[in-house]
Amino acid sequence: MADNSSTRVSRRKFIAASGTAGALALAGCTSNDSGDDGGNGGAGGDNGGNGDGSTTTEGGSGGSLSGEINVTGSSTVYPLAQAVAEEFMGQHDGVNITIQSTGSGGGFQNYFCVGDSDINNASRPIAEDETQLCSDNGVTPVELKVATDALTVVVNNEADFVDEITFEQLDQIWSAEEPPTTWSDVDSDWPDEELNLFGPTEASGTYDYFLETVIGEEGPGMRTDYQATENDRQIVQGVQGSQYAMGFFGFAYYSNNPDVVKALSIEGGESDGAVEPSLETAKSGDYPLARPLFTYPATEALADEHVAEFARYFVEQSTNQELVAGTVGYVPNSDEEMQEAMDALDSAIESA
Amino acid sequence: MATDTRTTVSEGFGEVSRTVGTAFRYLLLAATLVGILAVGVLFVYVGNDAIQPLTADPGWHLTFFLTLVVPTLAVGGVLRARADGSFRVGLESLGLLAVMPLFAGGVATLFLSVLPALVTFSYAVALGLVVATVVALMRSRRVGFGAKLLVVGVATVVSLLFVPGIIQSLPFVPVEWLLVALTLGTPVAAIAGAYATSSWNDRRTGRIAGAAALGGVVAAGLLGSLIGFGGTAATILAAVAGVPVALYAATALDRHPARRDGLLLPLTVVGGMLLGAFLVRTVGFAGPAAWLDWAFLTGPNSITAEDAGIYPALVGSILLMLIVALLSFPVGIGAAVYLEEYAPDSRLAQLIEVNIANLAGVPSVVYGLLGLGLLARMLDEGLPILPAAIADPLGLEPVRVGANLFGIGTVFVGGMTLSLLILPIVIISSQEAIRSVPPSQRQASYGMGATRWQTIRNVVLPKAFPGILTGTILALGRAIGETAPLLVIGAPNQFGLPQELSSRVGAMPLQIYAWATTSGTPEFYAKVIPAGVVVLLVAMLAMNSVAIVLRNRFQS
Repeated sequence: MADNSSTRVSRRKFIAASGTAGALALAGCTSNDSGDDGGNGGAGGDNGGNGDGSTTTEGGSGGSLSGEINVTGSSTVYPLAQAVAEEFMGQHDGVNITIQSTGSGGGFQNYFCVGDSDINNASRPIAEDETQLCSDNGVTPVELKVATDALTVVVNNEADFVDEITFEQLDQIWSAEEPPTTWSDVDSDWPDEELNLFGPTEASGTYDYFLETVIGEEGPGMRTDYQATENDRQIVQGVQGSQYAMGFFGFAYYSNNPDVVKALSIEGGESDGAVEPSLETAKSGDYPLARPLFTYPATEALADEHVAEFARYFVEQSTNQELVAGTVGYVPNSDEEMQEAMDALDSAIESA
Repeated sequence: MATDTRTTVSEGFGEVSRTVGTAFRYLLLAATLVGILAVGVLFVYVGNDAIQPLTADPGWHLTFFLTLVVPTLAVGGVLRARADGSFRVGLESLGLLAVMPLFAGGVATLFLSVLPALVTFSYAVALGLVVATVVALMRSRRVGFGAKLLVVGVATVVSLLFVPGIIQSLPFVPVEWLLVALTLGTPVAAIAGAYATSSWNDRRTGRIAGAAALGGVVAAGLLGSLIGFGGTAATILAAVAGVPVALYAATALDRHPARRDGLLLPLTVVGGMLLGAFLVRTVGFAGPAAWLDWAFLTGPNSITAEDAGIYPALVGSILLMLIVALLSFPVGIGAAVYLEEYAPDSRLAQLIEVNIANLAGVPSVVYGLLGLGLLARMLDEGLPILPAAIADPLGLEPVRVGANLFGIGTVFVGGMTLSLLILPIVIISSQEAIRSVPPSQRQASYGMGATRWQTIRNVVLPKAFPGILTGTILALGRAIGETAPLLVIGAPNQFGLPQELSSRVGAMPLQIYAWATTSGTPEFYAKVIPAGVVVLLVAMLAMNSVAIVLRNRFQS
């Protein structure tokens, strides 16, 4: 009996409520396609179920882009990509760009080449086995150079015994062949204190570049008994915390923390004496550890307008002195380099 | 054989030292204080970095001390001294006033940034039709249960399949705030009506309260859109914060006249704040240069500390909590009810219970690996409704659904992983709540001829509900702070507003982790991270406060 009476009331209440609601709804109507533009914009096609909702949005809101772009890859390129993505998202409300710092190799292997990301950043060119893996999964990367970096070797501010270092010394310190344990093992003028080493992991393009340039690919490889992290901030903190520490990473992390660690001048390759890392020496090519930074969009993803637009924007911004050099701390592309990358991108977009 | 009557029997009583006991007592006190002090220091440290109260003018502090702190303490002291329950009313209304706008903000972010109003409205109408069918069927006694179930099932499928599409393709629809007012205001009005019915014990009052709630929500929306505050925001604020506060105040005024003076406390606080703000503005005292400001709360993340905001992470966390609550609540309570009420006292049931207790202690990173392996990788192509192993021999195409929901680091996978993580906690706390229902009440119900299902529905669940809710909310409080499982399933370091369930997941702890690790400048450490931590803690405490209130109200 209690059951019965309670349901009767709730039904009456329901009718009353829906009647009120209907009357109110009639009072405040607008035309569906004009009044609800903003509302539908967020839909983005819930699950295919309301596909018609999102198509009207694309037609109605005057060419504004919407969608997701997933970026993975190098921690060195990460701050640059983040800065560009921030600007791009500021101009296109409907686009959500996510960036994951996985290391160049980690990004290619685990995300990009298996189709889990649209764009992969790299601080070295894509390797052959990675190209193979990509093509096995039907992913075609497009190489776009977006900046130039000066790989920076840093020591503690208190380490006044060392200001410059040669390729041979770096090789000796970091090579797996007879790795020294103290500074004096490398140079007898240096103190008899234990070397405290911090660097990127094997998944990192910075690691690959350092290995190839300083130690040589055919050699014994990199020593493994150093603190490896894919997180450049931790390298800064590690070096900052120990007087006899050494580490290396992209120039941006040094230019953001110029007072907390000391960058070493490098002598090696074709350099004329020791050259200090800076945007100028990297641009002129004098600095022996200057290297190009890349981003690799997948041709398949470029078929989506918002991904193509973002890739174009990234390439356009690569000449932006204030953004690339000022905010982030890399050498911007020259106009020719930008044009070259843009041509490669345009032909990829056409073929997509 | 003579009994020995030596007088040294009381040897052990001679010297009892009290020092041991005293030392023990103060040791325990120290143990209690260590934890609280450490957390307190953290709060002060982080709060100081985020708000920077010392940068304000001394006059600013003095003004607010005189207009806000002194009157509040005075009114609070008087109410407390009266000891007639009005102090409690004051505290509760003040708490409602402080917490409900936070919830309104949370709901507002969802409606403004994630859920399109028309789509939400259309699904709400579809669900409303299903509820109407259920209510209509419950009245009928001639239709059998099987037939009822069939009708409800068909109504659900038809309604959810067709109604949203029809509504979304209507040529004319209400303006956005009105859609939100109907979507949100109707259930709020129904709850308000039910609450009023039970507290006044009068159906007419209940109906009036419900109508007033709906009318108030719509009026607020209209007013908000007219004065430029934003119709949708005003609607949500009225529905989520305004209605409960008004209802509480009305109950206190009309039903508990003896305690109505308690409402002076929130009035004093609000009045003091307004007066203080007015005085500070007219005299020109500068407030604190807080890092945690409106721009931080509503801005996107940035590479520079000055521009970095937490809004996408906040929305991501709220969305995650919604998914986690929707997934873990029914499953966890269902499991708890089964284990407590139905499961035979067998070896198997014991094994299951022990394992659930063990699962509650499994480290969160392991759940992250489960999410990565199972949800992100294995189900990448979607949930196999008709797996290839069965489909192929029959010559059919394999059927998989939800391919875009599963995958690396999606919001849905993040929500499911966190649900699995807190599920054992939800089950255990729900079991505790169900177990605390006195057996005599169950037996009384059986004694009156009720079936087990009727007993569970009418006696056990209503009685256990506050406890169940408390445990679930505390579990959600754990989920909101989890970082490791999200990192393992492939959450990004930089993310914008999630647009759908297949977007990459973003959450406040992830954002704080990203700031702490990949953002270069020391300014992030000094200012942005503390501000983010304060937002995360406030969100968590707001959720937990609900659990605390529920526990206190229903403990008796």
